[in-house]
Amino acid sequence: MEVATLLSYWLNVLLNKLKALVSLVLITLSTPVYSHEMTPTYPVFVQSFMAGISVTTMNLFNKRADVAYYEIGVFDSKWEPISFVSQYTVIPMKYLDTVAFDVYVSNLSLARVEYICSVSQVQDGATVASKICSRVK
Amino acid sequence: MKTKLLILTSTLLASCAPAYAADTPITGNVQTRCLITTDTNGVFGNPLPSKLSTASADGGVVPVIRYDVTLADAYLAKVTTPTAFSTSPALSDSVTWTGSTAVSKTSDAAMSGYEAAKIVYGSTTQFDLTKAGSTWFSSESTAVYGVSKSFVGGSYTAIVLAECIAK
Repeated sequence: MEVATLLSYWLNVLLNKLKALVSLVLITLSTPVYSHEMTPTYPVFVQSFMAGISVTTMNLFNKRADVAYYEIGVFDSKWEPISFVSQYTVIPMKYLDTVAFDVYVSNLSLARVEYICSVSQVQDGATVASKICSRVK
Repeated sequence: MKTKLLILTSTLLASCAPAYAADTPITGNVQTRCLITTDTNGVFGNPLPSKLSTASADGGVVPVIRYDVTLADAYLAKVTTPTAFSTSPALSDSVTWTGSTAVSKTSDAAMSGYEAAKIVYGSTTQFDLTKAGSTWFSSESTAVYGVSKSFVGGSYTAIVLAECIAK
């Protein structure tokens, strides 16, 4: 009887270890998930510290291990580019980094600003480029 | 004796540290946002010497892109299938591209109309994300080299562009 109990105990231990191993293998083999996010969706420009220049702050989150750079662009309603100034036009970002960046636009072109976009700069191996555009209402 | 005990008990009770019940707030802010996630990276299959295809029937893997939106009727999803290789060996002839994008899964049954309402122009397919939640898009693409010419040996990469545009 004791031998049977001991055998059952060790079988249970072995089974649990096997379950843990299978889970680990499945987690390791699962497809990685990569994502790109930019907020706010509806940014608002305010007067900057310089006369004649407005500014808004955007946040970018990089959950794409296959992307290390995001390019920023400002466009009008016809997708024509508008001149702007930011810390970087191409932002270097590590995996899981969150970066806040300011976009400065001349008050003369402010009325034309419709979209602020970020585009992932894909590297070797990536097959999907992502682009998120916020809208200035 | 009783008086002493009463005084001692009163003193002990009076000196007890008061216990305050406090509410511990957990605050959070959910912003309107669009998140583009690559659920599956695509892989080209090579069913014929002149053909590269992501279709599973051709031995490829169809890329799957997930859009998560937190506000209904605030975004357009645009998925553009490739029209050129981003990396490839030198090719001397033209490549003909075809592609299509379809809704493969949704988090809400109310999103079932997305597929019928999609707009296709050129290699771009546009979906109006009228509901909050997640939508999965699968984007098939095929490249045919010349007139039944064999693709040159080497590594080929093409990029699907997934855009989320605020309305």
